[in-house]
Parts: sequence; structure tokens; C-alpha cells
Amino acid sequence: MSDFSDELTRPMAEADEVETSMLSGTGMYIPWLRKQMETVVTGGRKEKDFAQTTSACLELIQEALLKHEWQKAAEYMHSYFQILEDTDTSKRQAAPEIIWRLGSEILYYHPKSNVETFSTFADRMKNIGVMNYLKISLQHALYLLHHGMLEDANRNLSQAETWRYGEKSSSQEILINLIQAYKGLLQYYTWSKKKTELSKLDEDDYAYSTATQNMLNHSWKTSINFCALIQIPGVWDPFVKSYVEMLEFYGDQDGAREVLTNYAYDEKFPSNPNAHMYLYNFLKREKAPKEKLISVLKILYQIVPSHKLMLEFHRILRNSEKEEHRKLGLEVLFAVLDFAGCTKNITAWKYLAKYLKQTLMGYFRYVSKQGHQVLRKKIKRMNKSVKRYSIVNPGP
Amino acid sequence: MDFPSSLRPTLFTSGPLGLSNVPDLSFMCSWRDALTLPEDLPQSAENVAPHLARDLRWEPETPGPYPLLPPNPAPWDPGLTAQDLLFRGGHHFCKRPRATLDVTEQLSHFLWHHGDIAFGPLGNLMQENFKLEGARSRSKKKTVVSVKSLLQDLGGHQPWGCPWASLSHRQRRFSILGGPVLAKSVASLLGELLQEELAGRWGQLLLNDTVTGGALAWLPGKTSLAGQLVYPTGGALDKLCFQEISLTPGSDPQVLGDPGHIQLRGPVRQVVSRTVQGEALLAVRSDYHCAMWKVSKQGRPAPLQVLQVEKGATGISLSPHLPGELAVCSRSGAVCLWTPQDGLQRVYKDPKTLVFRDPSPWRWADFTAHPRVLTVGDRTGVKMIDTQGPPGCGLLLFRGGAEASCQKGERVLLAQYLGKSSPTSLNPSLHLICTQFSLYLVDERLPLVPMLKWAHGLPSAPLLAQLLPAPCPSAPQPLLVAGHGGQLQLLHLSGEGVSAPRLAGPPQSLPVRMDALSGFPLLEPTSQRQLQERLSAPTLGLTASVLPSACTPGLALFHLSAAGDVFYQHLRLQECSGCCRNTQPPRDPGPESHAPVGAAPSPGRTPTPAVASWTPQATACCSRWLKALLKVPQPPPLWTAPTFSHRHLLGYKQQPGDEGRVPAGLRAAMGRGRLLRQQDLGSLPTAEPPPAPESGPEDELSERLSEAWEGRGAAWWERRQGGSAGPGRQVRRHKRRTQLSSTFSSLSGRWDLSDGPSPPPSPDHLSLEPRPRPRPPATPLSQELWARSVPLERQQTLRDYMAKLPPACPTAASATPSQASSIRSTPSRRQAPRKKSRMGF
Repeated sequence: MSDFSDELTRPMAEADEVETSMLSGTGMYIPWLRKQMETVVTGGRKEKDFAQTTSACLELIQEALLKHEWQKAAEYMHSYFQILEDTDTSKRQAAPEIIWRLGSEILYYHPKSNVETFSTFADRMKNIGVMNYLKISLQHALYLLHHGMLEDANRNLSQAETWRYGEKSSSQEILINLIQAYKGLLQYYTWSKKKTELSKLDEDDYAYSTATQNMLNHSWKTSINFCALIQIPGVWDPFVKSYVEMLEFYGDQDGAREVLTNYAYDEKFPSNPNAHMYLYNFLKREKAPKEKLISVLKILYQIVPSHKLMLEFHRILRNSEKEEHRKLGLEVLFAVLDFAGCTKNITAWKYLAKYLKQTLMGYFRYVSKQGHQVLRKKIKRMNKSVKRYSIVNPGP
Repeated sequence: MDFPSSLRPTLFTSGPLGLSNVPDLSFMCSWRDALTLPEDLPQSAENVAPHLARDLRWEPETPGPYPLLPPNPAPWDPGLTAQDLLFRGGHHFCKRPRATLDVTEQLSHFLWHHGDIAFGPLGNLMQENFKLEGARSRSKKKTVVSVKSLLQDLGGHQPWGCPWASLSHRQRRFSILGGPVLAKSVASLLGELLQEELAGRWGQLLLNDTVTGGALAWLPGKTSLAGQLVYPTGGALDKLCFQEISLTPGSDPQVLGDPGHIQLRGPVRQVVSRTVQGEALLAVRSDYHCAMWKVSKQGRPAPLQVLQVEKGATGISLSPHLPGELAVCSRSGAVCLWTPQDGLQRVYKDPKTLVFRDPSPWRWADFTAHPRVLTVGDRTGVKMIDTQGPPGCGLLLFRGGAEASCQKGERVLLAQYLGKSSPTSLNPSLHLICTQFSLYLVDERLPLVPMLKWAHGLPSAPLLAQLLPAPCPSAPQPLLVAGHGGQLQLLHLSGEGVSAPRLAGPPQSLPVRMDALSGFPLLEPTSQRQLQERLSAPTLGLTASVLPSACTPGLALFHLSAAGDVFYQHLRLQECSGCCRNTQPPRDPGPESHAPVGAAPSPGRTPTPAVASWTPQATACCSRWLKALLKVPQPPPLWTAPTFSHRHLLGYKQQPGDEGRVPAGLRAAMGRGRLLRQQDLGSLPTAEPPPAPESGPEDELSERLSEAWEGRGAAWWERRQGGSAGPGRQVRRHKRRTQLSSTFSSLSGRWDLSDGPSPPPSPDHLSLEPRPRPRPPATPLSQELWARSVPLERQQTLRDYMAKLPPACPTAASATPSQASSIRSTPSRRQAPRKKSRMGF
């Protein structure tokens, strides 16, 4: 643990390696350049045997992984651990991450591996090289979560959350926020479970009040966990969704609206269609005025004209009084039908047929009001056929 | 087209490549990718482990791919290697080896082998007497040397390769005094050009981007199991072959008859085929030309259009939405769209790169889920542009930067729209972007944030990729990625409906062509080396077809090597994958979910994969192929020093014809400090020619080459041109281009032009440069009147709608779409009068 300080400078140490592998003048890194050069350079400094065996071993592990030979890969991995004793500092420091990446992959697929093995490996790896503690903890927790071990995962995340090393760097900060958010998500799961239990309980029951108390506690803790992360630009769908659900449950509509508005409209965030969808669904639940809904969907229409909410948007626009809305409604519908995945969307076609029918009827009415006797008859016939045929049931 | 209802948590940072203080949240483990968060409710938490098929695997049937078609009759020459280009000295003081181009060695080779060319002119000028100002102290008598006497001293003796050959004092003095002067003139003229050329060659050796996209295509035939392989062959890869193949799920594919072919005037770099609305189209990219054919139901290609790209084409793609639409990118940074209706139109032009400055002129374009939106890519990023919108607008789909946590020095090598294969279970809005480190899946509805990232770790540039349809419903789709060096990886992608795309199992590597070596009989060392060299040729093309079958789905995989050979490999989905049988039982909640990972394989799984072995048919194929290969003549040795004699140097003087022109031209060139080129001299002096290389079969190229070798290249060209030599070079070049493009495609072989309704090879040629051009004739896709005012992409769907209507109400039908179109805002571009097409649409 004495060489912490140079471990922190690891990303810098790799920089000079990059320099030599650039394609002359273009700034492009060519991973296979070294191999090409090895065929040429005969004199000069040769790699030590140690370095040669470790790099050969790494290649063999990667090859075995791609051939799904987990057993073989595990055997090679056993030999690869020697890299932790490499005298080349930059290599030694890069090693834990490589070992973790390959090792976890092997243990995930190895037929004889189990959760205990994986956990032991993860715990060991966390403490080799401080830089990886948080990342490995997070992945370990996800692994446990996946195997249904919510409590273990929660314990893991709690441990990681309190971990600090040296001065708080921005990357550490983000990782800790992420870990807290995942922890919050786990708490949300338990909260959600309790909520369903609660819905089964009688309100006059004694257990009911304790359960509510419990839930209140949960909510408060969880909101702290989510708050920090969702301020950072990113895609946080599961966190935002559960946070908003909890806020809504406790009647904090304004809070929920603020979270969702920020998530959807903050310019630093990527233009995530889901953010707009969540906001729209929230406003719909809230029974917001139609104008508000239209403005939210209008923005979504500009981002993703093929979104499935567009059909709903069309429906809202169609029933609107305003002429411009009705025009936009048709535009929306046509835009949907242009997209490769939507050309066979039966609902969209039904809406189009309905729209056309409406327009035609209006037109006929107009003509028959002004037109001649002959025209009127013709139009009457057409009118009948339009009424009779629809796109879904072509003819009686 | 559902958008994933809940995306994987991702940090979003903007910034340059390799921003180090941001944690990379894409952990690059295939298992990590499977760990999507459980949906909504904790009740489902017990069975959250999504079905990550541990043994999802395509098992090769033979240990390696084997040759399907006879070898390319042209000899294969691997070309320049790193050894030819790089400095081979020791790097005693360099901690890490650095690639240094060896210009001096190349230059000294040139001076050594072509001394007469390098020094001849200068020596000739100095023939009489000349003064060497080297040493002032010495008497004048000693510094004046007569070249004639020098040469007489040599007496016809050439001390090639022997620095210690006996030399007279005069010669030694001359070489000491004249050496720096003589070498300097050559080095100053050639050095820079040579350096540039070597750097270009070295760059191409590291990354040959001309082959991006691949030159092998599968044209489906009448049934899904029959079709044609389209690939280039011949020494220069300039013969486009059409080989009919019949696939059978149970056994090896059958090669039907001899291939038909089209002789082109240029190497084929990319072949693309696409079937849209029942029309099969084929597009080919060469260095400066692109051509398109329409393939009839019988499999006969009829030429549609030849386009000329002045600056060089870098990529083409065919529209998956409308038949006959072709996007072409050029090195100048322009992207053009050719449609049978509107001809050629430029949709994008920007000589600069998208995100940051990068010198590479490589550009790429592809289509998207919307018929009128294209992607435009370069080394730094990929942008979506609306072909109908105002120029300059667009949205970045992928940015080489911190958004996708790109590394320092990472560049885009390939961008592909994945919605092309029609029965896709993935969303049709996904794009694949490959860099030298990773591959990314980006959804065009959520630009900049990759949905999936996987570090492929390929040891060569991933320039080829193909997404295949799922072998059976609800199975993951295989995505093939191939490196230029021949390595192949297969990824299993799943992500139906509202779930985000993810890897459904660990990616796997497939056998490379070198693995086929074990299928060949043992050979003597020379032949063995020839075979190995041939097998290790880079990959130029890749295509695959899924063979649906009742029991185990198969995958027919074809590769094209740079030597022009087509290899075949059959893979079958491992039985225990269970993806097609839905045998995976839902995990029971409770303690059992804590069970060891994978310790209890579900029933029906066979944990040991079957070991692939060579089938007798495959080995028979191999030995047949080998027999044909050994008959292919070895490539001639690269170059041997010709035995020049100094008499040519003197001989220049005896030529009365060139008396005036050559020295005058030389003097003029030297005065300007430029190289003396052949054009400056007009016809060449007819010196004693060096032995010409053996001329092969009678073809134009070798004829021209041998004429040029003997110094009659210009005369030959004039003869070819029919004696009408234009006065200026510019005119000649233009004519050459015209001729090239008009004869770019000439049918030969099986297809006779006269028996089809197809027009003769198109005489049209359109420049991609923005010069005024006549509007090409346009064709309405159908005769119906309404179709004119309806946007193209909607015509088909509207026609489908019309088809549903009974014929009884024609008036209503014609009124319907026109109503629709009147609401459309700007159909102005389509108002141009239309004429009947000449192109056969």
C-alpha cells in the first residue's frame, strides 16, 4: 500500500505508449502497429522474458475466452497473476483492471464457478490497487443483485459508499453518487414491496401505521440517495422513475415535476426520449391542461417523430378545436408512417383512414351545399362507398 | 418501433477523446452488459437474471473455412511489408520502438540499381570537362576530370556490389569529390517525393481503408437457398464474377456452373447488393467510378448507371427503402445521392471533418430508418443529415469524444445502418460504429449515447460487418465483424420491443483461413510457403446467410481473400443454446436462486461442444483447389538489377534525333529545379531496352505495360486512341476518362446483351463535382397520376393502401392521396417535369 501515489498517476503513465503507436501525423492510434514493428526491429532493447510470457499469456486468455474455453482460460489466468510482480510500474498498475475484467468474465461463465467464488475473487480484487475499489464494488453488487441476493448487494454498496481514498476526486465523487443511487434503487425495491403489502392491509390495523412509518423512513433515505446523482448529466431512467414514483406517493407533486422537468429539459443532459415520456405520463396522471400536454409532446415530436406516443399526440391534436393543431396532427401521422419500423403500423393507418374520411365528408358536404344536381348525385354515391369501406375491413 | 422503456444508467460527459478523469462506466465485460436492472418491481427480482445463454454458440463444422471455388488464376503477391518500409537498425537508446521510414535505404537502392537514370543526365551534361571546386589548394590540373576518360578507365567493367573493386586514382578522386554533388541533386529532387510515397504506403499497410464495406455480396435468387455470389477476381481484382450457388441446410453448398463475369476497368473495392420492393440491385465501387446494375429475376444484371468520382470514391450504400437509390461519398467530402428519378444530387459537402480536425479524407454514408435521412461519417464522428433540409443542418449521431468514452487516438473505421436486414428483431433504428478498439451500437433516436459498447480487441482494422436475421424467432441476431487481417468475431445481439439492445451471450471468434491449413495435404516447403502466403492474404469481403432448418439452424459464411479466393465455412447453432426451443425454465424464487452459477445446466444441454473435424468433401475441395493453385505461376521476382553498361551513357550522344530536345529539356528542368519527366521530352530516346518481363496472355494491360517498358508507351496510347492525339494533356485526360467510364462495364461471358431488354452499357457519366449538369430524365414509379405529387417514400405504402380498396370506387381512391399531398408543405423539388427514363426503370 506504499505506492498509492503513483497508482493515481496511472492514466498519465500510459500516455507515452500512445505516442509511439500513432499513425505518422494523423494522431490515430493503431493497436496492431506494435506487431508490424516486431517483424522488423531486430536490434536494440528486447522485451524481457517475463514481459514476453505475460503478454503471451494474456493473448492466450483472450483467445480462450473468445472460443468459450472457460476451463482453459482459468488455467492461463492462474499463470497470468505473475504480472502483479512486474518490475515495470506502469504495467503492474494497469494489471488489476485487466485481471478483474478477464477474471470476472471467466468466473461468470465457468461451469464450476458459483456466487461464493465470484464474491471471494471480487473482494480480493477490490484491495489490489485502490483505483478499482469503487468500480469493482459496484459490479459485484450488480452481480449479486442479479442472483437475487438483494441484501448482500445492499451491504456491499453500503461498504463502498463510505469508502474514501485521499482527496476526493471528481471521478470518485461520481462513482460514489452512482453507488448511492444503486443503493437507493435497492431501497426502492423494498419500499415497493412494502407498498404492495400495505395495499393488502386494513387501514385500521395496528400493523398499518407501523408499516406506513417504515415506508416514510425509507422514502426519506432513498431521496437523499437519488438526489445527488440525477443532477449529474447522464441517462438515469431507472433512478428517476423510482424516485418520481416515491415522491408522487408522498404527495410531493412539485418535487416530482421539478425532477422530471429538469431531467427532460436540462441542456446538459442528452436528449433522452424517455425523459419526455416520463414527464408526459406524469402530467397526464396529474390531469394537466391539454395545452401543456401538447407542448411536451411537441418537443418529443421534434426529437423522435417515430415515438409510439406520437399516435396519442395525433389523437389529442385531432380532437383539438384549433385548425393548426389538426394540421399538425396529420403531419405527425405522416411522419410516423415514414419510418422503417412503422410503415406497417395498423393503428397509424386506421387513424389516417379516419382522418381522411372526416376530411372527405366535410368536403362532400361543402360541395353538395353549392354544387349542381348531377354532382350531388355522384357525390352521394362516393359518400356511401367512403362510409362503407375502411382500410381494415376492405368491403363487406 | 418501441423505444426501450428504461435505458441503462450512463454518465454523459462531453469533451475530447481520452478524457481521463471520468470513470468509464461501460465496463467492457460481456456479462456486465447482461446485467440490466430489474424492471420495476421487486417481485420480479428473483428471476431478474435475464436469459444470458451461457453456451450460446455457433459451432463450426470444419476446423477452418475451405475453398469453395477454384483459386484465382492470377498469382498472389503480398506486396510491401513493414520490412520493406521501416528502418531496421537497432534502437539502442529508445525505450519504446518507434516506426521510422527508411528513405535512405530506398534511395540508395535506387541510386545503386538505376545509376544510369539517377546520374546519367548529369554525367551526360558534364561529359566534356568540368571543374570540381572541392579543393582550392590543389592545382587546377588535378581538379579537372574528363568523364570520357573516367569511363574509359572503367572499360566496361561494372563494380556492382563490390566496393573494393579495383579503381583508378581518377575514379576514386571523382567519387570523393563528385559524390556529394551528384547524390545531392538526386536526393533533393526525389527525397521528398519518396518520403511522401513511403509514408502513404506505410499508412496503407497499417490501415487500408479502400476495402471498407467489403467486396463480396450475396444476391438472393428465387428461393432463399439459391443465389449468386458476386465478387471480383483476376490479378487486379477487376473482373466482377457472378457465381450461382445453391445452399442446402444439411450439406455443403453446390456451385452451379461456371461464373458469368463483367470485365471492368479498375479494381473493385466494394460490392453492395440489396433487394428492395422485389427489385434486386447491385452497386460496385472502384477507385474513381461507381456503377449500378439491376438484377433480373433470372439473375442477369442490366447496367443502370455509371458514375465518375473525380476525387475518388470512398464508400457507397444502397437504400433499404427505395429501389435504386445510391449514396456515394467522395474524398472531397461530398456525399451524393443518385436516384433513378432525379439523377445525381449532392446532399452534403464539407471538406472538413465533423468533430475535430483529422487529415483522413475517408468518408462514409449510409441510410437510416427514415428514407430521407442519411448518415455521413468520417474518422471523427457520424452525423445524420436530412437530404431535404437546408444544407449544413444535421444532428451528430456519434461523436469521437467523451460522450462514448472514446480513448485517445480512437477513430471511426466503419459505420453501418443495421436496420437493413428486413426481418429484424432489433429496432430498425440502430447503427453500428466500429473503431480500432470497440464497437458501438447507437440508436438514432438517442444520439451520442451508445446503447452498447464492446471492446472487440481485433488485431486488425474491423472494416467489414454484417447483421444477420435471427435463425429462429426470439433468438438473438448474430452480428459478424471481420478484421482486415482475416479475424472474425460473432456477437449475439438481442433486444426486442421495449428492452435495450444487449449482448445475449459472450462473443465468440470464428476460425480464420489459416486454420484451413490442416485440411490440406503436406507439401514441400516452397509450395507450403506459397499456400500459407495465399491463406494469410487479407480479407476483402464477407457475406453470410442463415439457413433455417427444423433441427439446428445453420450459417453459411463466405469470405473473399485479397488473393481473389472465395472460402466457405458452415456453422451451426449449438443445440443446447435452447434459444429456439424456449426450454429455459423460469428460475424458481427462493433459495434455489442462490444456486451456483451454471452449476445446474438445464435439461437438454450438452456441455461439451462437438469437436469439428474435416469432412471428406471438404478435404476433397481442399486438394482440388491446391492442385489448381500449384499450377498458378509464381509471381515474377520483384525486380533485379538490369545489367546496364556505361555505353548507354555515351550512347546518348550518338542519337541525332534527340540532339536538340533532350538536353534542352533537361537544362530547362534543371534551371527550374524540377524533375525531368518523360512528357517534357516528348517521345523517348530509343535506348537499348532492358529485358522486358515475360508477357502473359494477350490482354490490353500487359500489352500496354510491355510497350511502356520498351519506351513506347505514348505511341501505344496514341495508337489506341486512333491516332487522334489531342494537343494538350488536359484534353487527353478528359478523353481517357470518358472512355474509361463508358467502357467501365462491358458484359461478357454468359450474358449476351442482345437478348435482353436492357440498354447497352450506359454512356452517361456524371461527375460528382458541383458542375452544372443536365437534369437526368426521371421516371414516375407508376403511371398513376396521383403518384407524382406524393413523396417517394410514401408511394409504396399508399399503393398498398390502394390495393386494399375495392376497384369499385376509383374516384374516391384518386381523391384520397391527393388530399393528403396537398397538406404536405414543400413538394417543390418534385415539380420538375418528368420524362421517361432511359435507365430501364
